[in-house]
Amino acid sequence: MNEEQQLKLQAFLDGELPEAEARDVIAVIARDEEAKALHAELKNTRKALKSSDVKLQLPESREFFWSKIEREIQRLEPVKPAVTTVSLFERLRRLLMPLGAMAALVLVGLLTYNQLGLGGLPHSPETDLALAGTDGFTYRDYSAGMTLVWLPFPAENDLAQDGATTTIQ
Amino acid sequence: MAEMNYSSADDKELVRAAQSEDMGAFEELVARHRDKIFGRAVSMMRNEQEAIDLSQEAWVKGWQRLAQFQGDSSFSTWITRIVINLCLDQLRKQKRRQTDSIEAMDEESGGVERQMPVVTINPTERLERGELRQRIDRGLAQLSPEHRTVLVLHEFEELDYKGIAKAMDCSIGTVMSRLFYARRKLAAVLADLKRDA
Repeated sequence: MNEEQQLKLQAFLDGELPEAEARDVIAVIARDEEAKALHAELKNTRKALKSSDVKLQLPESREFFWSKIEREIQRLEPVKPAVTTVSLFERLRRLLMPLGAMAALVLVGLLTYNQLGLGGLPHSPETDLALAGTDGFTYRDYSAGMTLVWLPFPAENDLAQDGATTTIQ
Repeated sequence: MAEMNYSSADDKELVRAAQSEDMGAFEELVARHRDKIFGRAVSMMRNEQEAIDLSQEAWVKGWQRLAQFQGDSSFSTWITRIVINLCLDQLRKQKRRQTDSIEAMDEESGGVERQMPVVTINPTERLERGELRQRIDRGLAQLSPEHRTVLVLHEFEELDYKGIAKAMDCSIGTVMSRLFYARRKLAAVLADLKRDA
């Protein structure tokens, strides 16, 4: 028998051949003594081997074997982050704090910008109190180059002294 | 939720519980199948200490991959595949380290097995069970890891040629050839033929 025939015979024994080829092998076994002997040998060996699969016992106690497995599992297990519950208020606070800080910065920036007069914007009209000692006040509009001065007439102090009060309409 | 009675639960229930990170359920699975897993490792490695280490590793891997177990096969089959793959990896590493290749007797080197005389006696009839067991053990020990693995996968794990080829990352032709050599060699040992193959 050549190699192909031998392997085919084995495949027949293992149930790996399609039906048509299996029929051919059966015919060969029936007429060829060598094929018949080889088939018997392979079959006996397989039977002997199957009967020899004895149940072995692990030579370690259940507790000891498990303790090794458990330790290894714990060693390899990634440390899970502790789950913490964050309140809605806390989440809101965390969100708003940077926003608030940013808004404050912008505000300070704008104020500084205006204070230093870097904006190039025309001056807004200003109202200045007059010098101490008088009750009048001034109004200055820098863009229009205008200054208005209000003075009480007659002077309220004088009226008070005179005992007569006149209201100017 | 009521606490599970591990010893009375079946494998499927234990697997489900273990998938929910119930270590107690997994411990019960280990206790139930540890001998089988160890036995398979021994049959492939022929070394008890290596078999203990590899079966322990298989259980750790089993825990880590438990979420992938869909129940297509039994849990026992699934965990056995894991230990077989670990043994195959280990054997490959050992083979790479070996300087004198055991493959000198391999099927690729000339087909010694084809010239062996056919053993006509039936060893299961002639030998006592204990003696038969011893000779099989001796025969398996004389095989290269590749030949032994093919036998173990085919006869004990009942994998077909295609399954073995996939597990061992080789062709079906190689599986057939290795299986043929392993059986013939074993037949010779069982018949106690004093012959160097």
